[in-house]
Formats: sequence, C-alpha cells, structure tokens
Amino acid sequence: MNMFLHELKAYRKSTIVWTLSLVALVILFLSMFPSFSKDAEEFKKLLEGFPVEVRKAIGLSIDSIATLLGFYSYAFLYLKLAGAIQAMNLGTSILSKESREKTADFLLTKPVTRKQVVTAKVMAALVSLILTNIVFIMLSFVMASIVAGDEFSKKVFFLLSITLFFIQLMFLALGIIISVIFPKIKSVISVSLGTVFGFFMLGMISSTTDDKALRYLTPFYYFDSAYIVKNTGYENSFLVTGIILIIAAVAASYYLYAKKDVHSV
Amino acid sequence: MNVIEIKNLTKMYGKARGIENVSFNVEEGEIFGFIGPNGAGKSTTIRTLLSLIYPTSGSAAIFGKDIITAAPEIKKDIGYLPSEVFYYDNMKVIDLLKYSASFYKKDCTKRIRELAEIMELDLTKKIDDLSLGNKKKVGIVQGLLHEPKLIILDEPTSGLDPLMQQKFFDLLEKENKKGATILFSSHILSEVQRLCDRVAIIKDGRIVTVEKISTLKENTYKKFKVETKSEIGMEHFNVEGVNQLEKDGSTISFLFRGNINSIMKKIAEIEIANIWVEEPDLEEIFMHYYERED
Repeated sequence: MNMFLHELKAYRKSTIVWTLSLVALVILFLSMFPSFSKDAEEFKKLLEGFPVEVRKAIGLSIDSIATLLGFYSYAFLYLKLAGAIQAMNLGTSILSKESREKTADFLLTKPVTRKQVVTAKVMAALVSLILTNIVFIMLSFVMASIVAGDEFSKKVFFLLSITLFFIQLMFLALGIIISVIFPKIKSVISVSLGTVFGFFMLGMISSTTDDKALRYLTPFYYFDSAYIVKNTGYENSFLVTGIILIIAAVAASYYLYAKKDVHSV
Repeated sequence: MNVIEIKNLTKMYGKARGIENVSFNVEEGEIFGFIGPNGAGKSTTIRTLLSLIYPTSGSAAIFGKDIITAAPEIKKDIGYLPSEVFYYDNMKVIDLLKYSASFYKKDCTKRIRELAEIMELDLTKKIDDLSLGNKKKVGIVQGLLHEPKLIILDEPTSGLDPLMQQKFFDLLEKENKKGATILFSSHILSEVQRLCDRVAIIKDGRIVTVEKISTLKENTYKKFKVETKSEIGMEHFNVEGVNQLEKDGSTISFLFRGNINSIMKKIAEIEIANIWVEEPDLEEIFMHYYERED
C-alpha cells in the first residue's frame, strides 16, 4: 500500500495536468458545435470538396457530422490521441523511472517482491487513468447537455466517451512492456510520442483502405464510432482482441520484470 | 553461525565475466571486508546477494535462507547502502526516510532523528538540493534506520569528508557491538584494515584469499626506501625476506617481509640520509597474492 500511495502521489501533478487538458479540449470542441450545426449545410458542401480518402483519414463522416454524436465522434479522434499520449507516458515511465533515477536499488532491496512492485505501480497508473476518465466523462456530459440542441442518446455518448479509457489501457500496457524490455529509456516523452503518432498514422492509413486486418494493428481504430453510434455497442472481435493484448502485455511485463537483472547505472 | 554463506557463485554477463566460483562465509557479529580494485566483481557479488541480479550458477544463503526464494523475507533484516545514491529527487529528506521506514513493520521515527543528528543531516531539505556527501548521508540513514541485523555497504565512504567518515565508522562499530554483522566492500585497504576483522580479496572475478586482517598484516610486505650518505652496494640488503631490491644512485629500495627487527638492524649498520617505510598499497598486496598463486 505504501508503494501504491507513493506512486500515486508521484503522478498527481501529471494526472491533473492531463485531465485538465483533456477537459479543455473537449470543452473547446463541443463549444464549436452550436455554430457549426447552424451552418451545417454550408460546411457539408465545403467538406464534400475534400477527397474521400482525406475525409476518411481524418475521420469525417458527412452524413453524421451535423449531429452532436457525429461531431463528437469526429472530435474524439484528437481526444483519443491526447489520451493515448498520457497513458503511454505513464506506462513507459513507471518501470523505467526506477533505472533512470537509480532508485531501483532503493526499492528492490526493501522487503518486497518484484511482483508487488509492479502491482503497486500498475495500480497507481490505473487509478490515475480512472480518475482522469471520471472527470473527463462527467464534464463532457455537462458540456454536451449544454450545447446539444436536440435530445441525444446518452448511452451512445457514454459508450463513445469510455473508449478513451479502453484505448488508454492498451497504450498503458504497451508502455509498460516497452519499459520492461528497454529499461534504459532516456526520454520517455520521445518514445511515447513516437509510438503514439506511429499508431495514429497507421490508423489514418488503415481507415482510407477498407482493410479490416489493418485495423487490428492500431488501437485507435478498435472502436469505430460510426459502428458504436449505429449499434449502440462495440465490435466484439476488437473488444476481445484488445483485452487479450492488454492481459498478455501486462502478464509478460510481470514475468520479465521478475526475471531481469537490475544493473547499477 | 554464518550470516552469509556463498557457494560457488558465478555470474556471467553473456560471455563477459562477472564473478566466477566465489565462495566465502561471513560469521555472525563480524565486520567483514571485501576488497578489490574497480571492476573486480565486488558490486556483482553484493548485487547478487541482494537478488538485484540473479546468479548464473552457484548459490548463497543469508540467515540460512536462500537469497532468491526467500529474498523479501531476508531483506527485512538487511540494510543496504549502494555505492551511488540517487534518491527520488523531488522529495524531502524526511519524506524519503519515512517512505523507506514504511517498508518495515516498526516505528523508526526516533531512530531517524538519532541517525540524522549523528550524521548532521538536515531532514527538511529537498534531496535535489543536497551535495553528493549529503546524499550519501541520506543513504546511510536510510540503510540503518530499521536497525538491520546485516548491514551491506558497497564502497560507502566515497563523497564523505574525513570527519564524517570517522563518525560513520563509529556508527558502524556501535551497530556492530549491538550485534549487527557488516559486509563492507572497498578498494581502499586502509579503511578496511581499520574496521574489519576479516577480509576477502577479489580480483578478476575470483576470490584470491580470505584472511584475518591480522594475518594479512603479518604476511604483507613493507616498502623500504633508504637514501645512504655514501654509495654502498645493494648486497648489503640481500638478506632473507627482501624482495625486488633496486638501486638508483644512492637510493636503495626493496620490499621486506618478516621480522622487522632484523631489517632495522641492517639499516642501523650503515649511515643513512633518509628513510621511507610504507605500507604496501592494495595493488602491491594483490601482486603478493598473485606471486604466491603462480
């Protein structure tokens, strides 16, 4: 418990900053909606001028863009991007931090098992993300209620919003396994930004082709907003794959971290 | 009773050598020195004992329990001070020490105050703002605050001024009198000589010898350098126990091992201008052990 609280405290500042940024971003996007929906026809005409591939790549769907959920789905692409960076940062730093700051010697000579160390750190990261999402979703709801002219499906809105958390979990797990395999990461931000943007670009490419297989490669497109809006649910195959990937990455991290040599730097 | 038992411990880093077939025991209540030059395998041995790294082959036990399977249990009673200390930069000293204490199921507040007072450590400062020597003090307090039964120190004195070093050694001796066993690694022979009962000498990953300090002293050479008033032949010093006899003008130097009185008599027979008698440094002791090995 002491390790968990210590870690949680260590992430306090970054969690607050990221939460505020995400909230600011969603407020900014949603506050544009009223003026956008007023001139929706104009916009649609303008957007039709864009090549189909470009529209697909940036996640624009002309049919639904004028509705709140459609507009939110579009904006959500960028929220996902920001959220992914937060989670990836957390994941990459939690275990590599120890070797970078040479505190591994401190922690691992205490009467704890390495499993306990990983658990405390993963739980702290998880709680940070959960707190971020609670605040984010609540304020998104408030903002959506304010700007929505008509009724909108609260359930779909929630299903869309919570995908942020699922995507963050995937990037968290990815970050953790990277930090176990490459413990000497000098700069967390460059690794996490590189990985996240890499997947983001891959996602853009995959959405221009209709190749479903390619979608499995990028966490950003595991949750297709058009599908969620239409079916009020997720695609099971992607949901299951996502869960399996997260469990596999975390399990592998536990195993590798327990076995590895901790060198003095 | 042996607090530490090491049996044929080997650690390879890929194909590179870490340590090979290291075996020695540390008995309860002793201060055991572990000396060798940099890169000889001192830290590798210590880190293996603490299960920070895992051995390639061989085994070791602390308090009679296996170092790998019983690691968390063993560590309840170990205090460790690494050679390089870098503790969570954005914490205050007291917060770090409290965090450290929270791992042990006892109240260490009083002990923290005591140790900080002895080591003259300001508890309210941020670790970031501390000098290397003061960071080292944080490490010392951190390693001793739970009154461990076994204290493991990896080159603990670097960065401490002589005055602090003295206080630190006094502190260790006090802990030792209270019953703590101490494993002390160093590449400085004098500090080991001053504190330890027995030493293990390691070079190139292998234990060269495990000896009592007193035996080591008897067996080691002393370095003599004699400047004579008039030039004399160096055969004068060619007696039993003299080694590496060299002459440079009116200066004669040699290593001597044996009864010190006999060589002093030899020196008294001639007119000398100056004399230097030195303890051999660590390298020379190693050379001595290598010569014996070959």
